[in-house]
Amino acid sequence: MDRAVIESDPHSLIEGMLIAAYAIGASKAFVYVRAEYPLAIVRLEKALADAKAHNLLGENILGSGFSCDIRIKAGAGAFVCGEETALIESLEGNRGMPRLKPPFPAEKGYTQAPSNINNVETFANVAWIILNGGAAFAAMGTETSKGTKVFALTGKIKRGGLVEIPMGLTLRDVIFGIGGGIRDGGTFKAVQMGGPSGGCIPEHLLDTKIDYKALGATGAIMGSGGMVVMDSHTCMVNMARFFLDFTAKESCGKCVHCRIGTKRMHEILTRITEGKGKEGDVELLQDLCNGIKAGALCGLGQTAPNPVLTTIRYFRDEYDAHIREARCPAHECAALKKYEIDPAKCKGCTMCAKKCPVGAISGELKKPHVIDPAKCIKCGQCVATCKFGAVAVK
Amino acid sequence: MESELITLEIDGQSVSVPAGTTILEAAKTAGIDIPNLCYLKELGPYGACGVCVVEVEKCPKMLRACSAKVAPGMVVHTKSEKALATRKLALELLMGDHDGDCQGPCKLNCPAHTDCQKYVKEIAEGRFADAVATVKETFPLPAAIGRVCPHPCEKACRRNLVEAPISIAQLKYFAADQVRKDGNEHPIKVAAPTGKKVGIIGGGPAGLTAAFKLAQWGHDVTVYDQMPEMGGMLRYGIPEYRLPKAILKAETDAIAALGVQFINNFKIGRDADFAKFRSWFDAVIVANGAWKSTSMRVKGEELQGVWGGIDFLRAVVTGEKPEIGERVAIVGGGNTAMDACRTAVRVGAKEVFVVYRRTRKEMPAEDIEITEAEEEGVKFKFLCAPDEILGKDGKVCGMRLQVMELGEPDERGRRKPVPVPGKFEEIELDSVIAAIGQRNDPEGFADLPQTPKGTIAADEGNFATTLPGVFACGDTVNKGAGIAIGAIAQANEAALAVNAYLRGGEYKPVKPILSERNLTEKDFADRPRIARAVMPQRPAEERRHDFKEVNLGLSPEAAQAEAKRCLECGCHDFEDCKLIRYANLVQADTQRLRGAFHPGFTEQKLVTIERNQRKCILCNLCVRVCAEQAKQGLLGLVGRGFKTVIKPEFKDPAATAVCKDCRLCAENCPTGALRIV
Ligand SMILES: Cc1cc2nc3c(=O)[nH]c(=O)nc-3n(C[C@H](O)[C@H](O)[C@H](O)COP(=O)(O)OP(=O)(O)OC[C@H]3O[C@@H](n4cnc5c(N)ncnc54)[C@H](O)[C@@H]3O)c2cc1C
Ligand SMILES: Cc1cc2nc3c(=O)[nH]c(=O)nc-3n(C[C@H](O)[C@H](O)[C@H](O)COP(=O)(O)O)c2cc1C
Ligand code: SF4
Ligand code: SF4
Ligand code: SF4
Ligand code: SF4
Ligand code: SF4
Ligand code: FES
Repeated sequence: MDRAVIESDPHSLIEGMLIAAYAIGASKAFVYVRAEYPLAIVRLEKALADAKAHNLLGENILGSGFSCDIRIKAGAGAFVCGEETALIESLEGNRGMPRLKPPFPAEKGYTQAPSNINNVETFANVAWIILNGGAAFAAMGTETSKGTKVFALTGKIKRGGLVEIPMGLTLRDVIFGIGGGIRDGGTFKAVQMGGPSGGCIPEHLLDTKIDYKALGATGAIMGSGGMVVMDSHTCMVNMARFFLDFTAKESCGKCVHCRIGTKRMHEILTRITEGKGKEGDVELLQDLCNGIKAGALCGLGQTAPNPVLTTIRYFRDEYDAHIREARCPAHECAALKKYEIDPAKCKGCTMCAKKCPVGAISGELKKPHVIDPAKCIKCGQCVATCKFGAVAVK
Repeated sequence: MESELITLEIDGQSVSVPAGTTILEAAKTAGIDIPNLCYLKELGPYGACGVCVVEVEKCPKMLRACSAKVAPGMVVHTKSEKALATRKLALELLMGDHDGDCQGPCKLNCPAHTDCQKYVKEIAEGRFADAVATVKETFPLPAAIGRVCPHPCEKACRRNLVEAPISIAQLKYFAADQVRKDGNEHPIKVAAPTGKKVGIIGGGPAGLTAAFKLAQWGHDVTVYDQMPEMGGMLRYGIPEYRLPKAILKAETDAIAALGVQFINNFKIGRDADFAKFRSWFDAVIVANGAWKSTSMRVKGEELQGVWGGIDFLRAVVTGEKPEIGERVAIVGGGNTAMDACRTAVRVGAKEVFVVYRRTRKEMPAEDIEITEAEEEGVKFKFLCAPDEILGKDGKVCGMRLQVMELGEPDERGRRKPVPVPGKFEEIELDSVIAAIGQRNDPEGFADLPQTPKGTIAADEGNFATTLPGVFACGDTVNKGAGIAIGAIAQANEAALAVNAYLRGGEYKPVKPILSERNLTEKDFADRPRIARAVMPQRPAEERRHDFKEVNLGLSPEAAQAEAKRCLECGCHDFEDCKLIRYANLVQADTQRLRGAFHPGFTEQKLVTIERNQRKCILCNLCVRVCAEQAKQGLLGLVGRGFKTVIKPEFKDPAATAVCKDCRLCAENCPTGALRIV
């Protein structure tokens, strides 16, 4: 979302930053952009040059006596560098690793000087609020969350993309109203709110208002504004594993709870999705989640357990099915898939047997075929081949 | 501002410290030690380990005590349930990712946890007197035990995964012999007298070890024994050719020299009853061993010429010259059977049979003992059980043997021998020695609680009996007869318990939490193979005619070379390691969060510093001291998340050039990851 703002309206960011700098008396400002977003960098560079050319930036801005320079810092793309103190470390040329707080950046930030860190979207809102007044901004939204927010609606949704909405709409409004519901005729299962460190919200909570407090109560967060919609074919354990894979890899490695804890969570989730889960694994995960939340040094670690906690909270039965019955209810976990031919539907055309790369299918012409589960490597070729829909995945 | 005093409460204690002080430093002033692994006062906080977390009332988040500053009226709980749980989780995560051996497998597998690795190293360095002192930290009989111990330590020795274990037991007795010869044993310190009197029944390894320990702690100890000399089964069971009496005597004399009184030819139950004996002392240890041969329960056992194994061996030792004739059968397959058959050969029997109901593979005796018996001409009759001892005129003339075969495995996995119906064999004999086991003699000890087996019942941890101040250990208790070092292990615990009892307390042993590596041959594939020392022996033809010692002992050169094979498995930092100290403090479960290990390698050294990344907990202290105190900035973190390591690799010559060898990094490493070599 922030990338879209920089690419399409960089001046709104520059203006917001300058106003903020003026307000707190800052003379130096940085935009920390991932080096992987070259278009954003090019456009921001041009906008900065243009602003400078018009003396809207730099020395003695418009003769006001106020000077402020904005520089771009292209980061190597580590997720944790979005954490404010890690970002400062990175700006200073150090390894992008969070610092202890306190002192907070407002006391001692960049080169130990008081600093303010805000999100691109926050700055982009500033000029609008000054032009239209705080009351106009506050008129939108709810008691606890004012104004608008941009979301990136993705996943199994009919119409995905960036949407800016006033706070207070329900999830249902966004997903089924704006997004048009689930694509390919699927059924809604859950929405992951707030990116990898957010949480998933199930069907029965679709009427939750988009509001910091209401979302927080579900175990999810507003976060970056990611909204990933999932249908009944998504395995919630696998989804949690996927997000943990991300956070474990992005952990900076500084603190114990996050460095080792997220790795262990990922290992446990992996074994569950492979049908090797053990009784007690869910409790072990919960224990890890709570401990990591309490002990991790920065936001990355403190929020990493959210996808696991929320999927356990709302989809415990899926965890249990994997662990106790070696079954993936969504039929997504490859190791737990079972391919079977329905003898009533099979016409004995032999096509699947010919396609199977490991010769796991046998049967006589015009007679129902069978799959040897010991040989089957779960490649799914048979399903794709059968014209009669006789191969079922269980 | 900074001098302004702030008052707060930590664990219920009121503390006043200057503003700006951290909770951790404030707690220290009140004598409260908050665990910490990545903090160093001079460097300030860092925040990595998360073990210093504390709970502060009205603060929703847990705080890191190393960085959080005190505030007026703050109420801090360093051991609240949540703080403890979070701290414990950090330590369990660290231990689950820790690939190190706190202690060598040898030491862990020794029932008495003798510090094998330490004395092996001392021998390697030629410090033989130090080696003996190290053994004597655990028990007083290195020359004797070194000769007879079946050495469970060697079974666990890591060198098994390379080619063959270190000759730990032989090294031990080499050192003891050498120091005795050189006369340079370190004196043993004895504490000032406590005025407490301890009476010990039984002068075997258990009783002697307890006496040795209690005397060092200043107690007035007297050991009573029914036999004319001390040593127990080491003297009256184990034959001279394995353990010369003179060597044992030198070691028991050294115990007496500490002030322990020995009273021999005194039998409890005969010369004094137990209750009376008890009344003479502040505390009592019963270590009367297992001195009754188990009966074979076959017809003919009452015949003249039938001996109990230990009775026969004792008779030989005391010079009774037992008449066993020319053809002798020993029944049994354990070490007593081996000692009996080889002794029978030595007292002149022409044909000696060992009758055992299973096969050689199942024999409980040490393999080397069986081989040596074979070399000395002993014949083995496997898969045979005594059916009846045949007699003529009240004397043994032979034995009928039931032929057996191996059936289903029992609960221990050993196949059970079952009779082959109707298949018998007869041998002509002059005597039969039943060496199928021995047990304690309860006579005279009726006051003591018994197990269903008839042994004395004692607590498995501190060896207390139900009678106050009465402890029991060794072959006489619980599971019954075992090996000498097992009896010694129990005696050490009993001695600690007696010491605590005499000081008005109670001793409850806690199993220490340790990190242990799980290794296979593959982990040692690149190690050079070095042959194990071979013990020189007298030839079988010569030794079978006398009782002189069979083994000739290692030379100092051979011993040192052998000791140098040691892989030094246990961690050099065990005494100082903060990680393991805190893991024990919070009772961390080292296995609960086991998973893949972080990348690790043992590197060549950096000038004088050796690093083992497998033990690194990434506290970053080395990186920080090198940058901030040594001003070299040589070290740094590389990689992300679980794959993070400290670089540069120490073998890098460029690194060696920068390092000024101040060793600050190694001195500040909280674990054994860095070592000054
Ligand atoms: C033949 C044989 C060979 C063995 N070989 C080995 C070996 O190679 N390696 C090994 O490790 N272990 C061996 N063992 C086992 C080992 O000797 C014992 O486990 C060990 O000696 C037990 O020590 P203890 O102090 O408990 O008992 P003991 O050594 O049996 O000592 C008990 C003492 O109590 C005395 N006593 C008994 N009753 C009374 C009483 N009523 N009043 C006064 N004094 C009393 C006895 O005289 C004896 O001195 C062997 C045992 C036997 C029998
Ligand atoms: C692991 C982690 C990653 C983050 N990544 C970003 C990011 O990519 N962009 C961003 O604007 N804020 C990110 N944040 C949040 C910032 O640290 C900071 O809180 C936020 O930008 C403050 O701005 P606001 O108050 O205007 O929202 C991240 C936080 C954490 C803990
Ligand atoms: S929580 Fe994770 S990302 Fe944050 S400091 Fe700790 S290890 Fe680094
Ligand atoms: S570093 Fe500490 S925990 Fe690790 S092996 Fe050494 S003593 Fe044990
Ligand atoms: S190699 Fe040395 S330290 Fe390791 S188990 Fe063997 S004797 Fe002990
Ligand atoms: S010994 Fe070398 S690596 Fe260690 S702190 Fe000193 S200079 Fe740095
Ligand atoms: S090697 Fe360095 S980072 Fe690792 S535990 Fe030791 S001091 Fe800490
Ligand atoms: S985090 Fe405080 S001592 Fe490590």
